[in-house]
Amino acid sequence: MALASQSAPPEAGADSQVRTPRTKHSRAPGGGGSVWRARLLEFGPLLVLIALCLCLGALNPSFFSFRNLVWGLANSAAIPLILAMGATFIILMGSIDLSVEGVLSVGATIVVLLCINDSNANNFGWWGPLLAIAACTALGFLNGFVHVVLRIPSFMATLGLWFVGLGIGTVALGGSAVRVLDPHIRALAFERVLAFPLPVWFAAAAFLFALFLERRTRFGRYVYAIGGGEDIAELSGVPVKRTRILAFTLAGFFTGLAAVLAVAQLGQANTTIADGRMFMTVTAVVVGGTALTGGWGGVGNSLVGVLIVQVLANGMVLLGVSPYVHEAVQGLMIIAAVALSIRRGGSLMIK
Amino acid sequence: MTSRNNDFSVDQFNRRQVLTAAAAAGAGALAGGLPFAVRAATPPTLVTSIRSLSNPYHAVWKIGADAFAKAIGMPNVTLVTEANSEKGISDIKAMIAKTGSNMVLSVDPNNTPDARPIVEACFKAKVYVVTWWNKPADLHPWDFDPYYISHIEFDGVTNGAYISDQLFKAMGDEGGFVAVGGILSDSAAIDRRKGLMAELKKHPKIELLDFQTGDWQSQKAFDITSSWLTRFGDKIKGVWAANDSMGTGVLEALRAQGLAGKVPVVGIDGIPAAVQAVKAGEFVCTTTSDPYWQGGIGLSIPLQALQGKFDPAKEQKLHREFNAQTVKVTRDNVADYIKNNVDSHPNIDWNNLWDRVASPIVYD
Repeated sequence: MALASQSAPPEAGADSQVRTPRTKHSRAPGGGGSVWRARLLEFGPLLVLIALCLCLGALNPSFFSFRNLVWGLANSAAIPLILAMGATFIILMGSIDLSVEGVLSVGATIVVLLCINDSNANNFGWWGPLLAIAACTALGFLNGFVHVVLRIPSFMATLGLWFVGLGIGTVALGGSAVRVLDPHIRALAFERVLAFPLPVWFAAAAFLFALFLERRTRFGRYVYAIGGGEDIAELSGVPVKRTRILAFTLAGFFTGLAAVLAVAQLGQANTTIADGRMFMTVTAVVVGGTALTGGWGGVGNSLVGVLIVQVLANGMVLLGVSPYVHEAVQGLMIIAAVALSIRRGGSLMIK
Repeated sequence: MTSRNNDFSVDQFNRRQVLTAAAAAGAGALAGGLPFAVRAATPPTLVTSIRSLSNPYHAVWKIGADAFAKAIGMPNVTLVTEANSEKGISDIKAMIAKTGSNMVLSVDPNNTPDARPIVEACFKAKVYVVTWWNKPADLHPWDFDPYYISHIEFDGVTNGAYISDQLFKAMGDEGGFVAVGGILSDSAAIDRRKGLMAELKKHPKIELLDFQTGDWQSQKAFDITSSWLTRFGDKIKGVWAANDSMGTGVLEALRAQGLAGKVPVVGIDGIPAAVQAVKAGEFVCTTTSDPYWQGGIGLSIPLQALQGKFDPAKEQKLHREFNAQTVKVTRDNVADYIKNNVDSHPNIDWNNLWDRVASPIVYD
């Protein structure tokens, strides 16, 4: 958000494509109203989040209780936020990563089998989580490599690796759930610093790291350039292939971090540990306002998106909404978010 | 198989069809034409068809099937559907063709309607079959005598009621509790919840504060519990979970806030983490259908029928369609359970086919 004030007026921004993501507002149709419309699009998700919080706070004051903010929201949002950080860059490029669940289960498997557990006698201490993150990063690289070098659409490449990951997890764990007994690993979930459990701090660090990459590195700029128009980016000398592979590798890294925290939180790993994560991650990124078509949005949007999804889930339990209604609400939220964020005027076709 | 030849009318013949027909006729001749004595010389293949090996339940199922096959020294094969009904059915048909019907089948159909084509294929090929969990209400073993021997389930209502009763006792028969159920449309989830509600009526001082669904997942139950602790705080005196996966997620959320062991939890399935939690005093109880037993007995029943040790058509109806007993793990027996079932595998008499028959299956 900090950069928004620096951005050129939308009308002028169309030419200086790589400078700042906000210039994409120029795609919005219309004349004088487009600035306001653009502002609405930019802050829409944030307004939705604030409105949701106020409504829930009014309906159930315990929503704003410290306990709920720490455990019901921050702690629950930690892993989804870390996953969303990786997914954001990929979706910004107009690609998609479906392999989250497979990669995460590989990471979880490695942590559990290398640290003290109830299945074998290993005790590699901190090497467990480090190797897990390294392995997930490598799988992310593989995603990018297959996608770019073998020229397979990211949709198919990552779909393949999803099942490869699940297969590796199944073979390594023998299909069972293995418990992690290493107190250091469990402490990652339960240790508190300034009242917040460690996962929240990890998520905050991941967010700041991603924000730095987006705003202050060439990589971040390149990602927007590719998402905005890959052919133009290529002709402008943007190293498209390298950037793509790097973005997928980065997503692998974040997934690895999430895997370590998931194991720490649940105290066990099984092949289905990541069930439902991919859908939630993509939902959060899209609800935050990042366009699935690429080139518009950012990690700030994803933070808001993750919080919207978590606040809604938390709020439905707080209000005692019937579980029959939950999924319907989630679906409606996605449709509403996409309807709000999509810039239809810019494209000729709605597929 | 040879009857397929009649389906081809003359004008439709092309080269591929002729070859297919010839192959089918050849296979048919091999399977059916040879004298029975020759076929019986090779031991039958013990075939198990289950959903996948990536969930603990079916993984243990396969271990049981393997143990039984090893004990009697016969070849066994495990097929997985990977939640794909088409794959499940066609794999079984391929297996029948490959073994020339010299096999027995223990199958957990991927979906309720799948049971019919599977049973019909087995009946046609004279393969003895036992089905688990899923079958249409109007499909009965005695309509396919003698090859469709039994259909076995576990009664979710009784189970759900049992763990509820245990939970309420641990709560001192008063106070509020929360419950996290499975996928709403899932029949096991519906039955277990029904059992909970029935038991709840018998305990007027117990209050159900909220019921949510965790879709059988640990992580969802973890998040829901975190929110519940905000909403109800100390009013939560117990948590009911429709399976152990969610139960352990609940437990970890309680642990994060220093409540593990103080708020009793119950679950179903008997996964190791839950059994250890019972031992640690954090879970009150869990129940299991004992997939190790399912894996072995599901093959033992049709094998004994094939070997002529009993005639399925003459068995009583209760043995043809029944709910089997579950194994209950509570604080009283958890030490023994861990010794016999977790650290080693139980010594089961696979010849005792009907000792776990509990009740007839009731359709509503």
